[in-house]
Amino acid sequence: MNDTTKLARKDDTTVARRDDEQSPRRITLAPPVDVFEDSQGVTLWADLPGVTKDRLDVKVHDGNLYIEAEAVVPTPAGLRLQHAEIRQPHFARAFSLGADFDASKIDANLKNGVLKLTIPRRDEARPRRIEVRTN
Amino acid sequence: MSDLYFGTDLFSEFDRLQQQMASLFGGFPSSIRSGRSGAFPQVNIGSTDDSIEIVAFAPGVDPASLDVSIDKGLLTISGERGSAQPEAGDDTRTYAQERFVGAFRRVIELPQHADPDKVTAQYTNGCLTVSIGKRETSKPRAITVQ
Repeated sequence: MNDTTKLARKDDTTVARRDDEQSPRRITLAPPVDVFEDSQGVTLWADLPGVTKDRLDVKVHDGNLYIEAEAVVPTPAGLRLQHAEIRQPHFARAFSLGADFDASKIDANLKNGVLKLTIPRRDEARPRRIEVRTN
Repeated sequence: MSDLYFGTDLFSEFDRLQQQMASLFGGFPSSIRSGRSGAFPQVNIGSTDDSIEIVAFAPGVDPASLDVSIDKGLLTISGERGSAQPEAGDDTRTYAQERFVGAFRRVIELPQHADPDKVTAQYTNGCLTVSIGKRETSKPRAITVQ
C-alpha cells in the first residue's frame, strides 16, 4: 500500500465540462471540496448551496466519481438581478478512484447544501498489522 | 427562478478581465465595504417592484449561528462555519481543504428606499434568502397623462 491515493482532481480548472451532456457547452462551477483519508477510506465534503437531493447526481463510472448538481433557489417573480457572485446554478466535479476503493459502498449524505461522501477502502486494501512471532 | 443567475458566462469573463485589470491598474472604485472578491458567503442581489432580494450561498452553516441584522442602511450577515476535518489522528491525511472555515461577515449597503421594518430571512439548503421590502413611495407607479 503506497502512501498516495488516486483520488485526485481530474479537472483543476474552475470550469469543468462533460462531453455526454445534452447541452455539451453548458458551463458549470467546480464546487470547493475537502478530502480526508483515514484507515477506513476517504471522506469527501463538497459545498453545493441550493442543491436538493433530487437535483444531485453522484455516480461512479469506469472508476471515475462524478458529482453533478443543480441549485434551485426560490425567488419571487419579476426578479431583476443586480449583482451576482454565483452566476451558474450548475455544479460539476469529477475524480478518479483507485482500485483500492469499494465503489459499491459509497455513502452520500446531503445536509444544508453540503455533500458528504464516504468512500470506503476494500477490506483487503485496508492497512493491517501483521503479528511477528518469535519462536 | 432562473433569473437568479445570468444565462451566460460572458459576464464572469468580463469580471475576470476586470479583476485582472484592477490588479494591474488599481481599478475602478467599488464599495469600500464590498471586501475582497470571492469572500464567503457569495452573494447574489436582485430586486422586484416590491422588494430587494439577497441570497447568500452559505452551505453547512448552523442556522442558529447565523446573524442577520440591519443598522443604518447596512445589512450584515455574519456567522461561523466549523471545520469538517476529523479529529487529528495518526493516520488521517488531508488531500484537499478548499472549503471556507471560520468566522465570516458580509456587509451590503442597502438603497435609501429599503424598509428595515419589512425584512424576512430564511435558511434552506445552505442558502440564506433575505427579503427586504421597499418603502411605498419608491414603488413604481404609472402616472396618468392629462
